[in-house]
Amino acid sequence: MSLLEVSGLDKHFGGLYAVRNVSFTLAKGEIVGILGPNGAGKTTLYNLLTGFIAADRGRIVFDGRDLRGLVPHRIARLGISRTFQLCRPFIGMTVLENVIVGALGTAGTNRADLDGRARALLASVGLAGKEQLAVDVLSYGDQRRLEIARALAAQPTLLLLDEPFAGLGSGEIADLATLIRRLHAEQGLTVMLIEHKLREFMRLVQRVIVLDFGEVIAQGTPDEVVRHPAVIEAYVGRGNEALVERPDAA
Amino acid sequence: MMAGKRLNLAGAAVFVAFMAALPLVFDSRYLIGVLTVSAIYGIWAVSWDFMSGLTGRENFGHSLFIGVGAYTAGFLNTLFGVSGWWSLPAAMAVAVVFALVVGLPTLRLKGPYFALAMLSSAVIMQRLMLIFWEKTGGEEGINGIEPLIRSQLGFYYFVLGTLVALTALLLALARSHWGLVLRAIRGDEATCQAAGLNVTFYKIASLVISAACAGAGGAIYAHYQQQVSPQLFAVVTSITIITMVYVGGMASIYGPVGGAILLVLLTELLRNFGEWRLMIYSCTLILILFFLPNGLIAPTWQRIRSRLGRRR
Repeated sequence: MSLLEVSGLDKHFGGLYAVRNVSFTLAKGEIVGILGPNGAGKTTLYNLLTGFIAADRGRIVFDGRDLRGLVPHRIARLGISRTFQLCRPFIGMTVLENVIVGALGTAGTNRADLDGRARALLASVGLAGKEQLAVDVLSYGDQRRLEIARALAAQPTLLLLDEPFAGLGSGEIADLATLIRRLHAEQGLTVMLIEHKLREFMRLVQRVIVLDFGEVIAQGTPDEVVRHPAVIEAYVGRGNEALVERPDAA
Repeated sequence: MMAGKRLNLAGAAVFVAFMAALPLVFDSRYLIGVLTVSAIYGIWAVSWDFMSGLTGRENFGHSLFIGVGAYTAGFLNTLFGVSGWWSLPAAMAVAVVFALVVGLPTLRLKGPYFALAMLSSAVIMQRLMLIFWEKTGGEEGINGIEPLIRSQLGFYYFVLGTLVALTALLLALARSHWGLVLRAIRGDEATCQAAGLNVTFYKIASLVISAACAGAGGAIYAHYQQQVSPQLFAVVTSITIITMVYVGGMASIYGPVGGAILLVLLTELLRNFGEWRLMIYSCTLILILFFLPNGLIAPTWQRIRSRLGRRR
């Protein structure tokens, strides 16, 4: 059963198409990666899915509901949660308060034990013991974890991660990937992620959608897309030998 | 945690007792007058802090709400003989209408539009009061408004009680989930939206609460001075209130009460210095803001509290 259906999505800024005729579907419980060179329209696609910008054309159907014309907070309440490329914690508040705010919008009247739930989430992302710290003093890696805890606090069915590994060391990346796998396994969370750090990314995702100049140029398993001629062309140019690391190597 | 809460209550009790005892110890009509005005400024400063301090959306025209509240009370009382107890809620309602008119279109936007719209609305209202002088009394304003309470001391206690009740209410709201959302809006609006929070609703609702309190303060002021003038809408009134909030400690809610009382008293104490008054006043403010960017009152109380807490 498909959780998300995107068909014929267009968005242009002036004469430039940021997203052009993009169609794909996401099954419930999948981990799907979005790949593409800089400026391929990945973040724009997220902004379209979450209602931060409106599409020129096309349909987005989430869980059987057309998202056309819905503002971001409405879409969030339907169960799509996202992180941002740059960490955007609420400065001047504690780590715990940051996560509670993440839960408030979707909690409705179910406000019992928000505190306990937030603490449990922080423990699950590895921030136990840091609940009362000011977010300003967190390391970059911890801010990334907090960002994910905050997004999870809204109890989403679809989690959109925008470069969650950016700026992290390889050990931290492995920890974060383990966390995403666990959330996927334990809660059946559907995850979509944009990433440039290919090694961990290719091992994590089940399927990859490749964008270039706003268009989907390839879809398939990690193995298939790295050998796809269009993908090789987008990354290394026509006529070059591709030296792409096989995902099962490393 | 609990000890901190008890110390906060104790601190508030000492402050209220001190403010209430002052006019009993020094029997002076002048002092009661100064204290009443400082408590009214306290109401305005607290209400400014609740919206702008918490959400970070600066309101440069708080005098708009004060002015429309005061004029509502003035018109109702002098034209229709409505007593002060009815003009208070009426003033709040009119201020709320103005808050909606300015806030609904501008608080959805990013950028300085809200701040500019508030500032210009206050200036426009001040001009309108002069242009329609036949109805509004022009520069003279409205005179002969009945006092809310005849006894001067009684009036002061009423204003002090209102200030305390309002501060307690807004403080409770600011420390609830509601206040947490307002502070998060100050941090990052997009993240709030991504979390499913309707930030426009929260901003407008907090402006409405802020306006209602400021309007009530304006009506109280009108019934205290028994007179209103277009000067109430002046930009300098808004700036004074913002200064009080900064000196008190932005987003602390209780700090601006102290800031308002401190600055009103400072203004009065400096009257003897004649022409030097503004100079000394401004220099004091610059020094406070330069050396204490988080304000004076709230950080000082936090230091006292942690010292008292440690002694236990």
